[in-house]
Amino acid sequence: MGKGRYLLKRIIYIIFVFFIISILMFIIYKSTPGDPVEMMIGGNRANMRPEMYEQQYKQVEEMLGLNKPLPLQYFSWIGNMLTGNFGYSTQYKRQVIDIIGSPMKNTILLNLCSMVVVFLISVPLGIATAVRKNSIFDKAVQVLTIVGYSIPSFIIALLAIFLLAIKIPIFPISGVQTAGFRGNSLEMLLDTAKHMVLPVLVMSVGGVGGITRYVRASMIDALRMDYIKTARSKGLRERVVIYVHAFRNALIPVVTVTTWWIIGLFGGSVVIESIFLWPGLGQMLLNGLMQRDFSVVLTMQMFYVVLALTGNVIMDIAYTLVDPRVRLEN
Amino acid sequence: MKKKRLFSLLLAGALTISLAACGGQEGVTNNASENPSSSSEETGAQASAETQAEEASVKPETPSGQLIFGFVTDLEGEFYDTAFNNTATNYKTYDLIHGYETVSYTKEGEFVYNPTVVKSHEEVENEDGTKTYTITINDGLTWSDGTPITAKDYVFQMLLESSPEMNQVDGYPSLSGIYYVGYEEYLAGETEYFQGVRLVDDMTYSLTVKADELPFHYDITYASSMPRPLFVIAPGCDVVDSEEGAYISGDFTTELLQETINNPDTGYRYNPQVTCGPYKFVSYDTASRQGIFEVNPNFAGDYRGVKPAIQTLIIKTVNSQTQINELSAGTVDILVQISGGDDINAGLDLVDAGSAGKNTYFRNGYGKIQFDCSQFPTDSVNVRQAIAYCLDRNEFARQYSGGYASIVHAAYGLAQWEYVESQTWIDENLNAYDKNIEKAKELLAADGWNKNASGGDYQDGDGLRYKEVDGQLVPLVIEWANTENNPVSDLLNTMLPEAMEQAGMQLNATTMDFPTLSASIGHQGDTIYNMYNLATGFASAHSPWYYYSTDERFMTNGYNSNWIVDEELAEASGALKSIPYDDRETWLSTWQNYIKVWNEKLPDIPLYSDEYHDFFNPKVKGWEASSIWDWSRAVLDAWVEE
Repeated sequence: MGKGRYLLKRIIYIIFVFFIISILMFIIYKSTPGDPVEMMIGGNRANMRPEMYEQQYKQVEEMLGLNKPLPLQYFSWIGNMLTGNFGYSTQYKRQVIDIIGSPMKNTILLNLCSMVVVFLISVPLGIATAVRKNSIFDKAVQVLTIVGYSIPSFIIALLAIFLLAIKIPIFPISGVQTAGFRGNSLEMLLDTAKHMVLPVLVMSVGGVGGITRYVRASMIDALRMDYIKTARSKGLRERVVIYVHAFRNALIPVVTVTTWWIIGLFGGSVVIESIFLWPGLGQMLLNGLMQRDFSVVLTMQMFYVVLALTGNVIMDIAYTLVDPRVRLEN
Repeated sequence: MKKKRLFSLLLAGALTISLAACGGQEGVTNNASENPSSSSEETGAQASAETQAEEASVKPETPSGQLIFGFVTDLEGEFYDTAFNNTATNYKTYDLIHGYETVSYTKEGEFVYNPTVVKSHEEVENEDGTKTYTITINDGLTWSDGTPITAKDYVFQMLLESSPEMNQVDGYPSLSGIYYVGYEEYLAGETEYFQGVRLVDDMTYSLTVKADELPFHYDITYASSMPRPLFVIAPGCDVVDSEEGAYISGDFTTELLQETINNPDTGYRYNPQVTCGPYKFVSYDTASRQGIFEVNPNFAGDYRGVKPAIQTLIIKTVNSQTQINELSAGTVDILVQISGGDDINAGLDLVDAGSAGKNTYFRNGYGKIQFDCSQFPTDSVNVRQAIAYCLDRNEFARQYSGGYASIVHAAYGLAQWEYVESQTWIDENLNAYDKNIEKAKELLAADGWNKNASGGDYQDGDGLRYKEVDGQLVPLVIEWANTENNPVSDLLNTMLPEAMEQAGMQLNATTMDFPTLSASIGHQGDTIYNMYNLATGFASAHSPWYYYSTDERFMTNGYNSNWIVDEELAEASGALKSIPYDDRETWLSTWQNYIKVWNEKLPDIPLYSDEYHDFFNPKVKGWEASSIWDWSRAVLDAWVEE
């Protein structure tokens, strides 16, 4: 009952915040200098005679509803959005729903692979360093994780390209697929996987650095607890002490990070996508902003708002799963 | 001990990586002074192609091989025309798959009737001032699937792309017929026929131009149209002629077009399977943004009868930072319009090593400082000229481009035939505005900028100049808007403010993103800025009379983006509009007068005209692109030698 009430309250809160943010976002973007119609068709001006350009300008302005008062534009936009019509992209000249799928797929694929690599490396590494705290191994890992965490991803990306694509050309410099590559599904998948190695590697370096340190700190805290001493004094095997007693208790802060990583699956990286020419949501958002493509930008922003708000609820539920002491109604 | 060794090894490894990365920069040099452009005196029209052992290679009769183009702008997955998508790469791709235009733009930069398509043509000036173009097309032209092309397909294009039904398809502008009689009524849906468009017989059609659109220098373009496959886009419909004009019969509706044109999987916009250009669309991969095109075996040739000799073209995106590496690695075969010293030098290193060929030509346009001539104090010619005298444009162009650029003195491109035929005249008659601070001071003093801050007579060393305007002392401050991450802005910032200060001017720079800059140019919001740094290119049918018209309409719609109201300049440019297209002599002398007036009024300061470089795999032969003969046309003359 308590859990249900809590969730209901959170959902009402999400709806309220969603509408407040939608109004703020709409006002912010509409007050940004720049003419979406000009950005959409201005490139054709030199090849069009003025009367043709003027007529097209009027048509586009009307089609986009930009000739209406701002409040009407807002209600029209939010009404359409809530019914699944995300509007018309002035940059791609198509419905937003038709153009967002492919970059989203690319972004999720890249982020998912990176997340798997990061957690496969950093969780065991964090535990190992916590268990061997202050050893040479621990210190070496500490230095390397700081380096990995601190170096900007564009530098790591350029280094990776220089070393592994130019000097030792074992991976492609950029792109998603070899130009003109033809093969069966498996061959196509392998080709894409080959193109993913460098971006995943670069994305993982920073992630491994951060999560390893997070898991290590959390594990060190857990290993200091009295129940660990009790477990050891009961004569339990060290493996059981670490993985069953300590790690589960160390999971709570890790859950926070993991939840945000899962939400982050939908967030594109402008830097990685630009350097490796991986057409994802990051590039799309940046291009949308630069081109004043408000339908794309607002759709993506509101999507992230929903993700962030629901992510918080999911995180709260996840806490109760890993720590029975946590109750949602509290 | 073992652990310490491991740690040392890791540190040494990290150091090696860093050194190797730094070493990577050594390969890119910017030694323009040591390697001046070999074709710096050539014009774009005389582009030089340098491929090794080309003499031994002959263009094959049968198409073969593949060519991978790398562009920094993504290819988007739609292939109808620029009204739907005008991104740079798509723009040229339309020419690959759509062809048989009745009027072609030649390699020499002129409009001509396309003899491959047009069997005969007739122009009749009617008593009511309108003009009718009647065109008969050749027998034997076919679509890529072998279906014959008839006059109906040409008339269908005009009717379709002027229709209210098409206008409802994602806001397609439906402007194709705007210059022909009866367009407004047809677009508004008041009539089902288009009065100015007639289907004469199976191979002949006519277009009648409105009286108020004549005379017009480029009037040959009124006869320009291209076919669209009626049987694919409007199955079950027909093009029918009547006394009132041509119309589309049958169930021609927006719903039909939504399916045949706009269906994301099968629509003509995204998946055109029946075309008539030199290449056929094969596939587009949305994930990788790559497009594949193959030779259209039924293509009869361009206006010269030339057919492509490369079987497959692939278009992919490259990163401007690594594009030369992609060429070197063989993941792309050709990069076009490379500019900037670093990339050009890196490409030339490949050429020197024998692993690439090159082709150079000057841009048909220029980078510029654009003045807002309606804004005080750049509304004064003297102030604009004084700013020009504060900049060493030759040094600017050299530093900006690494030596791979030239400068122009007025609104012309080095690829234009008018320039080619006027080089000596230009040298003798146009002011080059060589850097001269004293001259700048004289101009400012003559313009009334001869007071100091306390209202006394201005002396050298007084700093900022002032002028008395409506009884108030006004400082000579120039507001400059520029865009972020722009090397031109950075270089101007190092060269211009100090020189302007010496002349008694103050330059205030504001950096913003392009849409904001564009809004400022268009006077959206407060009008603040006096100048902007931008770049421009000339269209095939360059029409300066719009750009310097004193009619306010041309300012608000963005054509006269200088907001200049100068009768002399308007008259000089306006005189070009009505000169008959074939009267080259009158055109040339009028053009010379126009650029002379322009050079004096100086609405812009031209800064540089890039010397573009195309770099390509040595297997590519016969590559002769120029700024007026772009890659999509040049590829017809080229071939690959595997």
